[in-house]
Amino acid sequence: MSNNRLAKKQWTIAMRINHWAMAISILLLIITGFYIGRPFTIGAGETWQKFFTANVRLVHLLFGLILTTMFIWRMYLAFFSRFHADWKDFFAWLDFKNVIKQIKFYTLISTDLPEHTGLYGTLQSAAYGFLLILVFLVVVTGLILYGALHQAGMAALIYGILRPVECMLGGLAGVRFIHHVLTWGFVLFIIVHIYLAFWNDIVYKEGAISSIVSGNVFEKVD
Amino acid sequence: MSLEDIHPKKGQTKAYYDALMKKCDLHLEQMEKELPPSLEKWEDTLRWKGVKRRDFLKWCSVMTAALMLPPIFNGKVARAAEIVSRIPVVWLNFAECTGCTESVLRSSYPDFDTIILETISLEYHETLLAASGYQAEECLEEALEKFPGKFICVIEGAIPMGMDGKYLTIGAKGKTGYEIAKEVTSKAAMVICIGSCSSYGNVQAASPNPTEARGVKDALNISTVNIAGCPPNGVNFVGTLLHYMLFGAIPALDHIGRPLWAYGKRIHDFCERRPHYDAGEFVEEWGDEYAKKGWCLYKMGCKGPYTYANCSRVRFNQGVSWPVMAGHGCMGCTEPKFWDKMAPLEKPIADQALFSLGGEATIDKVGVGLTAATVAGIGVHAVGSVIRGVGKEKEDT
Repeated sequence: MSNNRLAKKQWTIAMRINHWAMAISILLLIITGFYIGRPFTIGAGETWQKFFTANVRLVHLLFGLILTTMFIWRMYLAFFSRFHADWKDFFAWLDFKNVIKQIKFYTLISTDLPEHTGLYGTLQSAAYGFLLILVFLVVVTGLILYGALHQAGMAALIYGILRPVECMLGGLAGVRFIHHVLTWGFVLFIIVHIYLAFWNDIVYKEGAISSIVSGNVFEKVD
Repeated sequence: MSLEDIHPKKGQTKAYYDALMKKCDLHLEQMEKELPPSLEKWEDTLRWKGVKRRDFLKWCSVMTAALMLPPIFNGKVARAAEIVSRIPVVWLNFAECTGCTESVLRSSYPDFDTIILETISLEYHETLLAASGYQAEECLEEALEKFPGKFICVIEGAIPMGMDGKYLTIGAKGKTGYEIAKEVTSKAAMVICIGSCSSYGNVQAASPNPTEARGVKDALNISTVNIAGCPPNGVNFVGTLLHYMLFGAIPALDHIGRPLWAYGKRIHDFCERRPHYDAGEFVEEWGDEYAKKGWCLYKMGCKGPYTYANCSRVRFNQGVSWPVMAGHGCMGCTEPKFWDKMAPLEKPIADQALFSLGGEATIDKVGVGLTAATVAGIGVHAVGSVIRGVGKEKEDT
């Protein structure tokens, strides 16, 4: 039984910064988003002393724009990263045989470790692809709501382009509702993502958790 | 089109407004010559209504500001207002409640919107028409013959399209609403849809829409100016007429046909209760302590954040009040499909039923349920993993 493992670089610094910036943004956006959906009343004090909802909205908008930037950056990395442009890896789920193996492994029917051909496992690739679609949709609906609020400059420019989309989704109310529904997609994703990251770290023993900090995974060498 | 597109560019403001003024003068002169003579002098009308010319000029300033023109246009607006009543108007009523007519025509004391609407040369208006039956039909036919391509067609009410439009037949000849609309609009200089029914279908078109009611634009596939609202503000209607009078063109419209000068900004952004929203001060229950203080109605289902209209600036009934001022949230009546999209009307959007089929399941209830199920699933999976020993290194053989 060999216990030799070799550090192999998997995530570039750009990828890691992108991951954590997205993670922090999404977390803050979920918290502030739920507040905006169902705000609580601050009864005490005079009106002029308070600016809570407006400040929460400011945080929400700020991190919304950071998320937008991070999404664009992530798309750039997927196609043009000099280290490893990973857009093809998002389609690992097209390998159906491996998908079945992976499902068997995850549902504990089989204990054979499925091989990773690309950067992601088969189901992992589908989940991350789903996340990126989710981010795209939430960014688009968010930009519509932002444009309605702030009709000047870049926001107005984007809003002008997106207004037909707003109309299609049933006005600002429809956009707002879809924006709220999408939030729950993120909540569910985060729970499953964190659990499976730990689970994979324990099962594969490649240091999946630390890899997104250090950038290295530890592959077994015989 | 956004508001940006119709503003003059930086440094060219003077040239822009000079050109606009010239265009305005030319058009007013032309209209003064071309339009049929008025039945009574404008000065006389004002005297009979018991209002001073000074008040009339004040109202002109208000309209100039509402139309987003600089104050130098005051005189032009006054000149346009004097002749606006000479435009022949055909007013059609379809599937509606006549609320728009009522709202626009009736008020506690006559203001200038009302006077103008009372004195416009209404060739045909079912509610106000003295004639009935075949005589009424003749009025309409005569108007179409006398002013082809010159009159303004105002439509109030949606057009039911189901059963060949037979859900709505009007008059002694039993023509369907669709037929009348098609005939009249084809000869009109401009079609103004007054109210949300003719603009977007409104409550008649709300799900499940048994009569297949539609707004005029969708039903006839023509371009219309939509003065949305349930009911709309008289100022928005008169302002559009004045704009047509001043420049000979319909005002700049947004992507769903509403004039930008009136529907370019959201209610929420000009609401007098907005500071309470920003402060986090919300009414929690009808008639509670916070309601008495006039705090924000967002949690009571105010749809102001999703609604483009100038109610919060212009208000209703000569600026006396408007829904949010009166203590009830905005229902979003100027937006398409507002009965479906803004529901529930007295709860925030977050409380909208997730499935349009009904039921109480809001997205947050479903979300909490799914999250709980996921966490429980993870717990089972983690225990299962330990029992199954998936993480154990296999013995080398």
